[in-house]
Amino acid sequence: MTRPSAGDATRGEKIVYFIAIAGLLGAIAFPFTAPSGFWLRTFTFVFMAAILAQGWNFIGGYTGYASFGNVAFFGLGAYVTGILMTKAHFDFLPSMAAGGIFCAIFAGLIGLPLLRLKGHYFAVATLGVAVAVREIVSGWDSLTGGGIGLNLPINPDPNSFRQIYFFMLAALTLSILVTYLLARSKIGYAWIAIRENEYAARAVGINTTLYKTLAFALTGLFIGLAGGIYAYYNTTIAPDSLFDITAYTANPILIVIIGGGGTVLGPVIGAFVFQILSTYLSFQFPGLQFTFLGLAMILVIIFMPQGALEYLTGRRVFGLAALLQAPRENRA
Amino acid sequence: MSNDTSILETTNLTKHFGGVTALDRVNLTLKEGEILGLIGPNGAGKTTFINVVTGLDKPSSGMIAYRSRAITGAPAYRIARAGLARTFQVTKPFRHLSVLENVAVGAMFGAQGASRSTRAAFEKAEQVLVFLEMKEKTKWSAERLTIADLKRLELAKALAMDPQVLLLDEVMAGLHGSEVLEAMDLLRQIHASGVTLLVVEHVMKAIMGLSHRIVVLEFGQKIAEGTPAEIVENPKVIAAYLGNRYAKPKETV
Repeated sequence: MTRPSAGDATRGEKIVYFIAIAGLLGAIAFPFTAPSGFWLRTFTFVFMAAILAQGWNFIGGYTGYASFGNVAFFGLGAYVTGILMTKAHFDFLPSMAAGGIFCAIFAGLIGLPLLRLKGHYFAVATLGVAVAVREIVSGWDSLTGGGIGLNLPINPDPNSFRQIYFFMLAALTLSILVTYLLARSKIGYAWIAIRENEYAARAVGINTTLYKTLAFALTGLFIGLAGGIYAYYNTTIAPDSLFDITAYTANPILIVIIGGGGTVLGPVIGAFVFQILSTYLSFQFPGLQFTFLGLAMILVIIFMPQGALEYLTGRRVFGLAALLQAPRENRA
Repeated sequence: MSNDTSILETTNLTKHFGGVTALDRVNLTLKEGEILGLIGPNGAGKTTFINVVTGLDKPSSGMIAYRSRAITGAPAYRIARAGLARTFQVTKPFRHLSVLENVAVGAMFGAQGASRSTRAAFEKAEQVLVFLEMKEKTKWSAERLTIADLKRLELAKALAMDPQVLLLDEVMAGLHGSEVLEAMDLLRQIHASGVTLLVVEHVMKAIMGLSHRIVVLEFGQKIAEGTPAEIVENPKVIAAYLGNRYAKPKETV
């Protein structure tokens, strides 16, 4: 059942909010329970995976444009942060913010031409942009350090891992909040209308170019922020590790598919499942984790193609099943 | 009822799709407050006419004026917000949204969408669904609807946009006898509320009963224009629908 009207929370939704707030409080308290470094890092990476998935959710889940270029935003966010810290000697936070804003603007600018493409054409074009960005970053030695990369200043905080944990948690919370607020606004309905039938969306008065570009800019913003935080965590940034298409384009899409796209919490649930599972598998079966992940993916696709959230709640969401449908015939 | 002010006017409107001329120098005037029927055999260009007028397809040449202002080549969303709403012959619901949400999207982005909150858009959508007697299906997912209800949903989305001109592309196709009468009654009520209607329809009982004037298209060209009584007597129209053999005796009249 779909919600009767915006702002009226159903009982099920109230339970979800309660769990979300309890989860946030738990996440804030967690580092103070003196967890091992392993668990602190594991959850840091769960949050990062969730930000990347939440970022993809704007353009892929809500708007229905399957971008395969998000790795470019991750890498650029990291590099802008790194360059500002090493070359301009900015502090971390303004550098990270600049990285996110840079990626938002970059996404908006490439979105204007690319979002005229649909389906596979858009996916391949965005992948092409990602490859091109990686080549430019690799080749621009004077600014980026070329193939060797950059070394960021070491985080002076004695609890630096805890600090990174909180940066990731803050960025994730912000991304969830923005998704939650926009999903039930006119912007969210414009995105969904575009995803469901772009031709009909134009006919009801939706400025599709504007809303698609906005979705892509938000995708760029949050993935760029995650890239910046990751750069500060890792202190070394190099093209090969940052423009890793499997880690930063494919996995976030799989995470959204697991959790359910076009939902506020689906990507977060997917990130927990995916990240914990892949961490566990890589310890139990080193080298075989991808086999198991692939198997798990096949099972998800067969048994709950609409994503875990719909499978568990019975509520209609936009999931893999819809993404796999043939491109919509938009003409009468 | 209708006055002589034109609300929508096309001049030599032409649309080519590759080598096919779907619209060929169509001059059509829609007067404020009237119900204009647009008929013609399959492939005559009726749907193309609506697509081009609403900006969803760009015209190859010619002019479109809405309230004496040129809207030729304007983006579809601007034309929609200016007060022209249309329905789709091949229905295009937002499938994963509920019926209420589908209609609310129309209310959010149509002519008065900018000044309407999301909540007000849902209230408007409910009013429209009550008017169209779809109240009990508001929470249904649009993909559960039958064809007849999907046609009605098309009308609901368009009405929620607060249009001044409503372009209806075969909303009655597939309806049976009593449903056609109900639909005609609904359209008369919509018209009485001050909306100018352009009705594309194959159901002759409906088009003859509703229209003040009728324009006939064939192969993209306007071949006739007149009152329903004039149109049924027009030999060109009879030839277009039934072939020249049936039209010939009339030519002597």
